[in-house]
Amino acid sequence: MSDFRVSHRYAKSLLETALDKKNLENVSSDILYLVKILNQNWRLQLMLENPVIRPEKKLSILKEVFQKNISKDSVKFLEFIVSKRRESLLLSISNRFLELHDQHQGIAEVVVTAASEFTEEQKKVLKEKLENILSKKVRLSFNIKQDLVGGFIAKAGDTLYDASIRHQLEVLRKQFLSGEVSFN
Amino acid sequence: MAEVRPDEISAILRKQLSGFESEVDVYDVGTVLQVGDGIARVYGLSKVMASELVEFPNDVIGMVLNLDEDSVGCVLFGESSLVKEGDNVKRTKKVASIPVGEEMLGRVVNPLGTPIDGKGAIKAKKFLPIERKALGVIQRQPVKEPLQTGIAAVDAMIPIGRGQRELIIGDRQTGKTAVAIDTIINQKYTHTEESKSLGVKPVYCIYVAIGQKSSTVAQVVAKLYEQGAMDYTTIVTASAWEPAPLQYIAPYSGATLGEYFRDSGKHALVIYDDLSKQAAAYRELSLLLRRPPGREAYPGDVFYLHSRLLERASKLSDDLGGGSLTALPIIETQQGDVSAYIPTNVISITDGQIYLESSLFNSGVRPAINVGISVSRVGGNAQIKAMKKVAGSLKLDLAQYRELEAFAKFGSDLDQSTLRTLNKGARLVELLKQGQYAPITVERQIISIFLGTRGFMDSIPVPDVKRFEKEAVEFFEVKHKNIFDSLKKEKDISKDLEEKINSAAQEFLKVFKKST
Repeated sequence: MSDFRVSHRYAKSLLETALDKKNLENVSSDILYLVKILNQNWRLQLMLENPVIRPEKKLSILKEVFQKNISKDSVKFLEFIVSKRRESLLLSISNRFLELHDQHQGIAEVVVTAASEFTEEQKKVLKEKLENILSKKVRLSFNIKQDLVGGFIAKAGDTLYDASIRHQLEVLRKQFLSGEVSFN
Repeated sequence: MAEVRPDEISAILRKQLSGFESEVDVYDVGTVLQVGDGIARVYGLSKVMASELVEFPNDVIGMVLNLDEDSVGCVLFGESSLVKEGDNVKRTKKVASIPVGEEMLGRVVNPLGTPIDGKGAIKAKKFLPIERKALGVIQRQPVKEPLQTGIAAVDAMIPIGRGQRELIIGDRQTGKTAVAIDTIINQKYTHTEESKSLGVKPVYCIYVAIGQKSSTVAQVVAKLYEQGAMDYTTIVTASAWEPAPLQYIAPYSGATLGEYFRDSGKHALVIYDDLSKQAAAYRELSLLLRRPPGREAYPGDVFYLHSRLLERASKLSDDLGGGSLTALPIIETQQGDVSAYIPTNVISITDGQIYLESSLFNSGVRPAINVGISVSRVGGNAQIKAMKKVAGSLKLDLAQYRELEAFAKFGSDLDQSTLRTLNKGARLVELLKQGQYAPITVERQIISIFLGTRGFMDSIPVPDVKRFEKEAVEFFEVKHKNIFDSLKKEKDISKDLEEKINSAAQEFLKVFKKST
């Protein structure tokens, strides 16, 4: 996991430069776009990771793909990464940048996994509640997982808010096993 | 057992379910990145504490040892094949701890306090963390009460005090465990009414078996039951088949159990059998966690591993109740090499060592204690006065005997005084021989050593010495019981008493029949 250390450093410097130049909004939307494209095109990612392809070639491909849609500063960032020969880490740097950006803006990414679809009303209530608990702005994303049986799990960072039936059944099982509940 | 009716089950289920209907459980999680060899790397768990317990799926418990920049290194206390990459890891917010208290006595547990003797759950009220800080200077006082091992050679020449750390060191098959087990068995007398009236406080024992064969541990347990020693003893075991992390924490668990008694003003004895295996387990763990190896491939903090454990043995000041925790660590040497890394470390930490030698063992001197290089640095203050008086010359006599023994092997003509020293020495060595599981009370030890050092045995042939001793002590017990009584009460030999013993011994010499 030395990847993490490297990407953290690049992402941090990108964030700080953007803050200095006061163009954080632009840069973050560029990076968001970059991540989207990279995730959609595994061939592009494969090309970046390929050590046989020369850096100049990689840079020209990157420029061709992104130049039209991202700002000048972001292109410069791409050039910088390639010149440092860290293009294979581009995706992880970008992801780390988005995390740092959220931290800086006081946004919490919360992934909600539920057994069944939430209604818009429920989503709104949940968002408000979570914003109260975390005292941060909350960006919600939803997953459906049938094996929760019922209820939901909200994951904010490393903390789980577990209100699923599956978890409650698990707790019950443990209580029976440890003999806390007896039949006498 | 009566059948459980379905409506009973559903009633309980309903009751339980209604309890947490509206509850949302909040806990921290991480993801397993890598697992193998009893080690797991976990991503996430960002707020986890060092040495906190974490829960893996399938009820595997782990302990956090490494806190890195982007991941956490955990050791697994269970089967690592039950944990897979990508599994969720849950924080428990508890550092590794063990139940303590009187409820633990008579039980066999693993280092996490789970009973493994099939006698059901332990209903302990109190939990204490396994790793605890040792006491400071202010909380302690010098060792002053004796801890009788019941082994004459030890109690006379290498006395152990309550709160001391005395190392038992020797090659394999030299009787290290035997010394420790005898000591546990001998603590039985401290739990009797008689001891209570004499002001001897009970000693609770904890035997920690690390990396041993399960069959050996079972033998020890059976022996302790047979001798009635389990009533005041807890056995903590991490056998050889158990994962290295459990073997590594076992002695700390034992120390915590002992500290409970110490802190409540009682006395406890912990035996770590043995620390060389613990060091090996810790080495395995450290290497798997990629900590750099040092001498003999042990990690850099292997000294701290043992020093922080043995520092927990202590005698509390009277303000804190005056309890004590005595530690008897055991170290196995290879081919008598005490200058290896672990032996030298532990020798330097402890307050003395009992050195057992295989050559002595094989020549029939059992316990095979080499008196010349065994020492007790603080126990002398704890020895009772009567023993101090009779044992003073014992050590000297034996030292002179050993010096002349090698020399006399040439078989040249020896002068009278040399012969006398040799004669006496041979009888003293014979006198200190003692069977296993046969601890002797101090008073008996004092009488027999008195007879030995004051020359009453010089005329007895060496093969008769043991019989002489046995019969003499029996004679004293039957005919001069008052001598034992005053020894027990006064713990000293006054001039008056000395004369009494002398005359009684003369009396016995006349009736003793030598074998022909």
